[in-house]
Amino acid sequence: MAGLWIAVAGAACRSVDSAGDSEPTVTVYVSTDRVFSEPVLREYEQRSGVRVNAVYDTEETKSTGLANRLLAEQNRPRADVFWSNEPVRTLVLKSRGVLAPYRSPSAQGIPDALVDPESYWTGFSARMRVIVYNTTLVEPDGAPQSIFDLADPTWKGQVAMADPRFGSTSFHVAALYTRVGNAKMDDFFRKLKMNQVRVVEGNSVVRDLVARGEVKVGLTDTDDVNVAIEDGQPVAMVLPDKEGLGVPMMPNMVSLIANAPHAEQGRALIDYLLSSDVEQMLADSEAVQIPLHAGVPGPENIPAIDSFKPMTLDYAAAASRVEDATMRLASILEL
Amino acid sequence: MTMRGLQATQAAVLALAGTAFAVCCVLPLAYMVWRSLASAPQGGAPVVAALLLDARQRELLANSTLLGAGTALGATLIGAPLGVALARVALPFKGVLRVALIAPLLLPPYVMGLAWLYLGGSAGLVARMVGRDVLSPWTYSLAGATFVLALVFFPLSMLATEVALRRVDGRSEEAALMVARPGRVLWRITLPLAAPAITAAALLIFVLAISEFGVPGLLRVRVFTTEVFTAFAALYDFNRATILALPLLVVSVLVTAVAAVLVGERLIVTRRGTRAGRPVSFDAWRRFAIVASMCVLLLALVVPLAVLAYEASGVRSFAAIVRGSREAITNSLMLATIGASLVVTIAVWLGYTRARVSRGLGRIADVLWVVLFATPSTVIGVGLIGLWNQPGMVGAVYGTDAMLVLAYLARFVPVAALVLGASVRHVPASHEEAAAVGGAGWLRAMTFIVLPQIRLGILTAWTIAFILAFGELGASILVAPPGATTLPIRIYTIIANTPPAQVAALALLQSAVVFVPLAALGLGVAVREVR
Repeated sequence: MAGLWIAVAGAACRSVDSAGDSEPTVTVYVSTDRVFSEPVLREYEQRSGVRVNAVYDTEETKSTGLANRLLAEQNRPRADVFWSNEPVRTLVLKSRGVLAPYRSPSAQGIPDALVDPESYWTGFSARMRVIVYNTTLVEPDGAPQSIFDLADPTWKGQVAMADPRFGSTSFHVAALYTRVGNAKMDDFFRKLKMNQVRVVEGNSVVRDLVARGEVKVGLTDTDDVNVAIEDGQPVAMVLPDKEGLGVPMMPNMVSLIANAPHAEQGRALIDYLLSSDVEQMLADSEAVQIPLHAGVPGPENIPAIDSFKPMTLDYAAAASRVEDATMRLASILEL
Repeated sequence: MTMRGLQATQAAVLALAGTAFAVCCVLPLAYMVWRSLASAPQGGAPVVAALLLDARQRELLANSTLLGAGTALGATLIGAPLGVALARVALPFKGVLRVALIAPLLLPPYVMGLAWLYLGGSAGLVARMVGRDVLSPWTYSLAGATFVLALVFFPLSMLATEVALRRVDGRSEEAALMVARPGRVLWRITLPLAAPAITAAALLIFVLAISEFGVPGLLRVRVFTTEVFTAFAALYDFNRATILALPLLVVSVLVTAVAAVLVGERLIVTRRGTRAGRPVSFDAWRRFAIVASMCVLLLALVVPLAVLAYEASGVRSFAAIVRGSREAITNSLMLATIGASLVVTIAVWLGYTRARVSRGLGRIADVLWVVLFATPSTVIGVGLIGLWNQPGMVGAVYGTDAMLVLAYLARFVPVAALVLGASVRHVPASHEEAAAVGGAGWLRAMTFIVLPQIRLGILTAWTIAFILAFGELGASILVAPPGATTLPIRIYTIIANTPPAQVAALALLQSAVVFVPLAALGLGVAVREVR
């Protein structure tokens, strides 16, 4: 037994030693998909010579996520930077005192609406919530153009959406409740329920159901649809409500952690992540994220940001509606 | 067993194991409960309010209970007969067959669910082959989720039954065979003697099933576990999540109590002679056992693997992912080996103590282990952070690989203790008493008399702990040191946003990595038995 405990001590020492050397390091917790974020961070290591210790997140329904880890570690933070792929988690962390303010010089040129006036977060490289449809089952002209079309009996039994309590879907529904109001959104989701909407565990599952033809249309994110398009699957996307309410946009958000152990390195990493170079890398990747800096060319498969009307939104107000929207939808959709 | 009767060595070893158990397993949950109660305002009114479940939550809890009970029943109905066959029927290539039948346990439940979804979804392989959707109403149902989980977990029941039957004294069976047919002997003599082990396995399966939210989520079955998960992942409310876990723990306790009543006295130590008579063979059922084994293998292994392989055939850059996973594979194998070994090292003394204490204390120990094992992994993970992310010496451990081992200990020592408790109960206390009369010390008696008699139980507990540790995700992702990773963490952080072909390929990779060392171990044991 003692020998085994020594083995554990050995494992511990291995990490302690490696953490104790003089190599400059920065620790970043990343909820942006690993396949997209890892190359960006490896590039930073190459450029700066700073070792990046990254902790990546799973899909929202596979584990409870890094925001919980940051909250649990709040009294003695281990991370320097949090890179989130949507606004809600960042704003929850801000409200709980986990983040520290930092105004990066790289934030110059990013629209004011996507930079926290108090400097606790800065947005970059955005995704959109889109309607995905199966191109063998739905003609482009016949695809729904607004999310409210999904409640039409035409699509009965043919709509899928991810569990609205988690991830980017939770942000989307909170944004809708904030912009449209409780009565209209409750009514919409009741109709969606009557239309036998399939609530599945994640946005990638929505995409796969549509690609396999199990349903004709679904609500998901741009990067999910693009991965399927690149994979040769019969899907296409519609930017919903681009004429009316506006297309919901979700920027990545990057923040410095309060009392970060390597705050200086953390600030340098934030400067890099907010640079035009990183926006270009994310636009060119399968993530097809839309650059927020003017002058950075956008992805080929996605309309340019100035070609549609984005949904104007107070992100903090939307984040504050998440709990209420979660409770309402658990009841309305019988989750 | 009384403290007065304990030798100094015995007291020291059991106290050490008890302390390790308290620190590693009990403290994280105790910390979370204390934190929830301490931070609850208004004299704990919100705690009470959260525990008064509304109609929707009661329905979810009922679904979870049905899922757990159905899975435990289904897995036992499949696994226990196979365990009997492996223990008492002369099957060809038994070593290979045993390893193949354990293999479904190596497929993460989510992956098994994915395979059945690819097969039985409304646009799955079956629907495409027959030209219409015939399976999906069943696939997307409580019955479908129960079926999938039973196919994943039946090897636990099989292993427990086989190990128990190998310990049954053949003399009572031989005597019974003089007046009864083999079937009646099996039903009235053999199986009742194996009941503690089979019941322990069923309890373990029940807890694993009600803790699952991946398969129910995939197959759109609403369960209570999602409520706990929602409190963490959607509301970031640790206290609410911990409190909401309590109804699941209460259900686990009730099921443990029901099992104890059903099995009754047989849960208590059997003070019979062991190895006194050659176990009776049931070779008359050889042909049936072979056919049944093949059918189970087909459903639980061949079909899911074939479906996954078919789906994975379209993958483009799998080689690059395998190359990038080398460090994660090495880490996972090393940490799961250390973790499983430590789990068994602690659990063997807990199991021994449980077998030798009074009936009441033994039942309390069973309940405690079931409750700890049923505790959601995220609760354990957050508890571990709260306890170990401290200044000073304690904090030196945090941020190292040792945290992953501590997570494995917290989650899996209770399981191993349940398994080993059932195993030690087959070793008569008289053996130790005889050794003591002969002048042997307690440690010597344990080393040369008790432990050799439960070696199969130890091997089973180690195998279960290794498989569970290798696949652990919920607590690991919270405590893994930055920059380090395990294979499940790497795979589950990669599969977000990857095409289904790649997901299927990664699932096959995870299963293959854990299968190779276990297959080698299983075949090694089989060869040694033959010799």
